[in-house]
Amino acid sequence: MLRSIRAALAMSVITLTAFGASSAFAAPLKVVASFTVIADFAKNVGGDRVDITTIVGPDGDAHVYEPSPADAVAMAKADIVLVNGLHFEGFLQRLVDASATKASIVTLTKGVTPIDFKPEFADADAAEGAGTGGGKTVTDPHAFQSIANAKIYVKNIAEAFCAADSDGCVSYQTNAAAYTKKLDALEGEVKAAIQSIPEAKRVVITSHDAFGYFEHEYGLTFLAPQGISTDSEPSAADVAKLVEQVKQDKAAAIFVENITNPRLIEQIASETGIKVGGTLYSDALSQPDGPGSTYIDMMHNNIRQIKGAILGS
Amino acid sequence: MTQTCLTFRDLTLGYNSHPAIHHLDGTIRKGSLTAVVGANGSGKSTLMKGIVGVLKPMAGEVARAPGVRAAYLPQQSELDRSFPARVVDLVSLGLWPKRGMLGRYTSEDRAAVSQALMAVGLGGFEKRPIDTLSGGQLQRTLFARVLLQDADLILLDEPFNAVDAKTVGDLIALIKRWHGEERTIMVVVHDLDLVRQNFPETLLLARQPIAWGETRETLKPENLLRARRFHEAWEENAPWCEPDGHGHDHAHGHDHHGHDHDHDAGPRAA
Amino acid sequence: MDALYGLFIAPFADFGFMQRALFGSLMLSLGACPIGVFLMLRRMSLSGDAMAHAILPGAAAGFLFYGLEILPMTIGGLIAGIIVALGAGAVSRFTIQREDASMAAFYLISLAIGVLMVSIRGSSVDLMHVLFGTVLALNNEALTLIGGIVAVTLVSLAIFWRALVAECLDPLFLRSVSRMGSPVHFIFLGLVVLNLVGGFQALGTLLSVGLMMLPAAAARFWTVRVEPMCVLAVLIGFASCIAGLLLSYHASLPSGPAIILSAGVVYFASILFGTRGILRARIIHHRHRTA
Repeated sequence: MLRSIRAALAMSVITLTAFGASSAFAAPLKVVASFTVIADFAKNVGGDRVDITTIVGPDGDAHVYEPSPADAVAMAKADIVLVNGLHFEGFLQRLVDASATKASIVTLTKGVTPIDFKPEFADADAAEGAGTGGGKTVTDPHAFQSIANAKIYVKNIAEAFCAADSDGCVSYQTNAAAYTKKLDALEGEVKAAIQSIPEAKRVVITSHDAFGYFEHEYGLTFLAPQGISTDSEPSAADVAKLVEQVKQDKAAAIFVENITNPRLIEQIASETGIKVGGTLYSDALSQPDGPGSTYIDMMHNNIRQIKGAILGS
Repeated sequence: MTQTCLTFRDLTLGYNSHPAIHHLDGTIRKGSLTAVVGANGSGKSTLMKGIVGVLKPMAGEVARAPGVRAAYLPQQSELDRSFPARVVDLVSLGLWPKRGMLGRYTSEDRAAVSQALMAVGLGGFEKRPIDTLSGGQLQRTLFARVLLQDADLILLDEPFNAVDAKTVGDLIALIKRWHGEERTIMVVVHDLDLVRQNFPETLLLARQPIAWGETRETLKPENLLRARRFHEAWEENAPWCEPDGHGHDHAHGHDHHGHDHDHDAGPRAA
Repeated sequence: MDALYGLFIAPFADFGFMQRALFGSLMLSLGACPIGVFLMLRRMSLSGDAMAHAILPGAAAGFLFYGLEILPMTIGGLIAGIIVALGAGAVSRFTIQREDASMAAFYLISLAIGVLMVSIRGSSVDLMHVLFGTVLALNNEALTLIGGIVAVTLVSLAIFWRALVAECLDPLFLRSVSRMGSPVHFIFLGLVVLNLVGGFQALGTLLSVGLMMLPAAAARFWTVRVEPMCVLAVLIGFASCIAGLLLSYHASLPSGPAIILSAGVVYFASILFGTRGILRARIIHHRHRTA
């Protein structure tokens, strides 16, 4: 009896050690994320089991990004590549071809109901994505601006990780569930913040074309500054129209950074009494020391900026 | 007691370390009327520029008696004829010594301008744009400006170029009037007959002063011959001229400067 | 009557930014157009464009030390512009080189230094884009800047007028009666830089240079004296600003080019119909007098 117990103990030690050894020596999953929001989700789901490389870094613009040789190398070595899809990454096909990667490309907007750009934003996006060689893109790819969609992204990531690394599936699912809970809390905060803004004032002007899903989900109206957002010199008619638009639509705040002439916006703001807001993060997260370095921080920052500009606090 | 208007002390003027005037000494009396003659390239214009101060001496100096104001009519003016100005604007520049940059022009000034134009035969030309003037008319306009300047020392560099005979006569009369007003006048002239008829004194230049004094004496044939023989071109390999006792102690002399810088003998310190 | 009001007055009455645009551009015309007349007469008409490039190292220096701030970059640009203008002026005055060549040499060297400075910093920020303003965005600072520049320009012109004209008309004569020739030359160049750099900052390069040179070029065809030429240039400048802003408002054209093109129309009309233009001088055969 003692001998069989000892044998069983030895077996279990060996087995457990083998188990432990295998998990201790299993190489982390090599994940390439196309941009920072996805990278943030992947980090939250994968934890220590994944090694993430991001292609379009903080404050980058995926529409116009030109990949470097280092990106191709990372792609080639990757096990999984996580992309947004919906034509968000203009460079993707070229990079996949150039790197000849054997990784599986996972499109995280699978299962998301896409919406189209509002007409005034469609032009801006087409201008930005002109290098992609397509026609005018009409579908808005910024699905992650809706937290409900973000949860879909997280679910897709967990599934992809599980498929590539079944050993870690339990931890992936656990992490995903915990993170989704945080997203739920975030969603509650965002909705509450918008509720605290009087309904008549839930209008802002920004040249960012990325907030379509946010508007759709949470009821805050984003308007494009007519005629002012592009690089060319505005006409007096354009500026007059914008002033009229502000007065008519009773926009409450305006956000400037993408516009090439900040002084123009200040002039409009002083003439209409509208407030000029701070920085909104729409297409990428900020630098690590910035106010929007994770997805949750980004949403916090944006809603705080918007609420602050409108309510003037 | 004759007063001196200008004093030349060992004056050397030139360009690019080649002298156009070489070691000139002497004085110009106040109230004198002197013609400056010589072949082309003999240094006449250079001398004028040196006197008025536009060109700085390479050695020596030219000293003006204190309080002497000069008026200068250059041979080739840097006048911008396409500039939108009228005759009256150009002549009115002559009021600068009197009115400066900020002084207002009085009605007397305007009258003086008109009189100056009449004196040179351009009465009624006030409002003409300067790009519509002929060469002779422009010359006379500049003469009117000199008149207006009311200067003690008048330097005219080839004023009779491109001017018809009648105008020459008018201008000579003007010069004589100035002479009568005891102004000091130096005029560069090519026409030797004109000089003999109208100018009491002459300076004959051939880079060096060949002769200087009373006109008939100065324009003697042997002087003219010597002047013609001077070396006009620049010598790239000429030795450097050292200042070693070139103390020409000549007061305003009526004899020619017979020193060892003869052009048919001696070192070619050119 | 209503239609006229709607066409000409309403745009300015209804919008603050239009009033400022009008005010700022009219003010700049007041100072820049006479300067432009003298630039044109001295055959330095292209120095405006040269100056736009020449100020880069100054703006770059301002950017390197203070980041993307308007004031240091403008001051830096002003200093660079002054150095280039005075340097080129000195070379043309005291050596055998003429003004067009010396200005070209200086501005090219300056531009190269500027590009070098920007590339060392490693930033691809378009400095000049930040530095150049637009007439539709004149805030109080910009208006004050323009106002100050115009005041300095007009006062300087009033004081130095006679010397400036003499320096252009007969510099040798001026040298023989006065020592004002060189100082006036450099003061004039300083005014040029001031008007250009201030104009760039407030209104952008096209508008600033164009407003300086086009009315002056047009005025040349109408008069034979400098004083009326300057006055006429200012009036043409005024008309162009008003017409351009109205075009920008009613026809949705960008404001800077609209103002310049209005001036351009006046220019072509002047070539054809001016007192000293083609038709009068060459084509139409007048009667002539007997004397």
